[in-house]
Amino acid sequence: MTALLRVEHLSHAFGGLKAVSDYRLELSPGEIRGLIGPNGAGKTTVFNLITGIYRPDEGRVLLEGKDLVGLAPYEIAARGLGRTFQNMLLWRHMTVLEHVKVARWSKVRYGLGGAFFGTAARRREEAEHEAAARKCLAFFGIEDLAPQVIANLPYGAQRKVEMARALATEPRILFLDEPTAGMNPEELAQMMTMIRRLRDELGLGIFLIEHRLRVVMELCRRVQALVFGEVIAEGTPEEIRNHPRVIEAYLGKEIVA
Amino acid sequence: MNRRNGGTDGGIRARAAARLTRGIPLLAWLLGALLAAILESWFGRELADLLDLPRVPVLFGFEYALNKPQLIPATLAFLLLVYGVPLVLGARLLRAPANAIARALADRAPAVSVLVHLALVYAVLHLWTDLSDYRLIVVKITLIAVMLTLSLNVVNGYMGEFSCSHPGFMALGAYAGSLVTIVGFTKSQMFGPPLLPPALGPYLFPLALVIGGAVAAVGALAVAIPSFRTRGDYLAIISLAFTFIVKSLIENLEAVGGPRGLRGQPDWANLPVVFACTVLCVGVINQFVRSIYGLALNAVRDNEMAAEAMTINTRRTKMIAFLFAAFWAGVAGVLFAHVLRYVNPGTFGLQQLAEVLAMMYFGGLNSVVGSIVGAVSINLVSEMLRPLEIWKWVFIPLLLILVMIFRPTGLIAFREFDPLALVRPRDGGGGRGTPRGEGR
Amino acid sequence: MTVFLQNLVNALQWGSFYALIAIGYSMVYSILMLFNFAHGDVFMTGAYIGCGIALLLVGLGSAGILVLPGWLVLVLTLLLAMVVTACLGMFIERVGYRPLRDAPRASAAITGLMIGIILETGNLILLGAQRVKFPALIQPVTYELGGVFVTNQKIMIVIVALGLALALHQFIRRTRWGMAMRAMAFDYAVVPLMGVPINRIAALTFALGSGLAAAAGILFGMAYPVLDPYMGIVFGWKSFVAAILGGRGSILGATLAGFLLGFIEIFVAMVFPSTLRDFIAYSIILLILVFRPYGLFGEPYSVRLRL
Repeated sequence: MTALLRVEHLSHAFGGLKAVSDYRLELSPGEIRGLIGPNGAGKTTVFNLITGIYRPDEGRVLLEGKDLVGLAPYEIAARGLGRTFQNMLLWRHMTVLEHVKVARWSKVRYGLGGAFFGTAARRREEAEHEAAARKCLAFFGIEDLAPQVIANLPYGAQRKVEMARALATEPRILFLDEPTAGMNPEELAQMMTMIRRLRDELGLGIFLIEHRLRVVMELCRRVQALVFGEVIAEGTPEEIRNHPRVIEAYLGKEIVA
Repeated sequence: MNRRNGGTDGGIRARAAARLTRGIPLLAWLLGALLAAILESWFGRELADLLDLPRVPVLFGFEYALNKPQLIPATLAFLLLVYGVPLVLGARLLRAPANAIARALADRAPAVSVLVHLALVYAVLHLWTDLSDYRLIVVKITLIAVMLTLSLNVVNGYMGEFSCSHPGFMALGAYAGSLVTIVGFTKSQMFGPPLLPPALGPYLFPLALVIGGAVAAVGALAVAIPSFRTRGDYLAIISLAFTFIVKSLIENLEAVGGPRGLRGQPDWANLPVVFACTVLCVGVINQFVRSIYGLALNAVRDNEMAAEAMTINTRRTKMIAFLFAAFWAGVAGVLFAHVLRYVNPGTFGLQQLAEVLAMMYFGGLNSVVGSIVGAVSINLVSEMLRPLEIWKWVFIPLLLILVMIFRPTGLIAFREFDPLALVRPRDGGGGRGTPRGEGR
Repeated sequence: MTVFLQNLVNALQWGSFYALIAIGYSMVYSILMLFNFAHGDVFMTGAYIGCGIALLLVGLGSAGILVLPGWLVLVLTLLLAMVVTACLGMFIERVGYRPLRDAPRASAAITGLMIGIILETGNLILLGAQRVKFPALIQPVTYELGGVFVTNQKIMIVIVALGLALALHQFIRRTRWGMAMRAMAFDYAVVPLMGVPINRIAALTFALGSGLAAAAGILFGMAYPVLDPYMGIVFGWKSFVAAILGGRGSILGATLAGFLLGFIEIFVAMVFPSTLRDFIAYSIILLILVFRPYGLFGEPYSVRLRL
């Protein structure tokens, strides 16, 4: 089976500092993969390289065989690589519904004529996008929050809004940057169910950065361990947990789970 | 709808007023205002004589009451008799039929309902400005200020950048539009006989408006291309330099009169034209900011990286909004030149910049209503306080500082403007407009 | 060649004013991340305050109460006016900016603009429309060096400007307060956690910037003795351009960019008709910014707008 997303030889340096070197990844629809590693290992940099926020010095990012390197982040996102952020990056003055609706940007067809003059085509399309947005909210069980301003919501709900927002871009692969950071056990369990449902019901490929080993162990089929920008081990969660170099580099210092 | 709940109810004070005005739709208020305007135009003169006032109060009596306090009671009586009583009584008496009409219109053709309301607003303004040329010019300039403020809000409010180039855009529009009309349709000392039959002129005036707007938009490219490459405050500085450059360029172009300016614009910017342009501007901008493209602008403002990750082409989004805003500033410039029938480069300097910035931030960020309120109130207050002479420039800045301290985002910030909600009937239920409570 | 040198001297003097004002903008901008649009009018007010103090001292001298030599009067005027204007700056910060610390930055820019208008109007109300003339404090002496005329005044203006800029630079490099200011410029959010008193640093920033603006005002008054209430507007906005051109929060950058602006303006006027001065000067600046978007000495940064 060929992978939907294939990352080859990805390398990047900030100044002289090698942040990521020779990174590889294969991801298929319906698969959850994990990326673990201590702080500053370059996990988020990997995300940023794949989603186009940084341009890699070397390597290719192939989505169905087409190279994404050099495209702007919005183009990459529109081709089906959705993502969330470690610190969420929500839009503080916008409502929940607006968050999700505006993520449909690349799907808007009505053009500037519609934007300026409120044509019938625009009204029809806006209704469609709103319906789609509400569906995304419903998926996470937060449709009743639609008219709320984001800043007034509790943390867990904000996380869900961010996931719904990413879902509204109609991704094929979802990159989740520490989706359970700062959550209490109840929220954590909820979030893990959500992630499974994203895979099972929508068939998304999911790639997640996690700090908590328990989450990775339960969710992921395969896990990579990243240290100083290099993948030092790859395998099933069980293998990773028992891998000597991982224990040395990661568990030895930060026992989180 | 409602983004941030601005304030809480005023309590008892508001309750008494609410009882008097409960259930009165906008339509009835406008009819009341029309009644007041008709009364003034029929009996204003006589009533002023009767009350021993020197003349009909032009701008609500401030123009002399501030200098002659002994006239205040008579002025108040005049205002009450001519404006207050007809407005409230008319609105109250016409409440039931107005609600019925508003409902019928809202159910069948909401767009027609909006048009009817606009026609009424125009009728009131027409009658009111018929009495004095001063009023007419104040109203026209105020309407133009609404266009300027609103278009600035697209950049500074909705997009969250700090642009200082509005005077420059306005100047480009004013000069381009003036050249079209003066060269094309009038006989002038500078440019000789008209190129086209002057009789055609008034019909082609919209063309001059569009050309003025387009020239401003092209000028905006010069600001947008360098400044949107980087994030940060560079738009502020580049746009400021742009304003200096445009002003200086015009001062040096002897062909358009240099520092002496350009005069002889035909008198085509009458009230209907200015009013129509303003309505169009408000309508189009409001449509734009409520579209997904407009929301994308907010997303870019609040976090650009997240906007990119959510498929938004941020550069294109910013570019469109900026050129769009410049276009309307240019149109406003054309109108401005044709209202005063004279422009000189000195008009489009730092003073103009400070004024439009003040109106915009006073009214409120990210808000169409805010910009309208800001432009109208600052303009009217500044006209009404004319008798204070120099003290006016202590009073208005103080007012603005207080507003900034107590409402840092402006009076009516972050509010969506829904014309259909505005024109709905108010006697509970019915109408396709937004139900009560949501639009507030 | 002599024309060139002569203009060079003039440009140095002209640039001194821009540099001193631009430093104030730059400091406030780097530390509080906002444009202090009242700064041009602080410069104007500083000039008037200096003028008042100078007239008072000269008056005391001619009345025989306190006879001082001209240079001492000048030094006293400079020092006193700088202190008084620094107080004005702190006052402006307290009433106009501190309440808006967490508001959108643009709102603070508007208060600044409005405070500026109040200063101009207040001046008109207090002094009326008549122009005020700055007293001549030092006897003008003109030196001729190979056809280039240099007055002692010009030399003094440039030296005082450079000296003040240098002193400020040292203050920020060397002292504890300066370190706190640099820390705040580096990261506004973390500093209060480190026990740095933000309010006092902000006040200090405004005081220093305003003091320099007052010095610029007095130096300007000595070179061009007729003062008018609106003189701060154009100077202020242009220095603001210079501050940005220098790069965010760089004292050195602001100083050099101020001089650069002076050079550009003077030399443009030398080659082209003087009416083209603004057009060409700002086109050059626009070009510089296109190629160095973070200014001459600034480093790339990202501003999270506090909107």
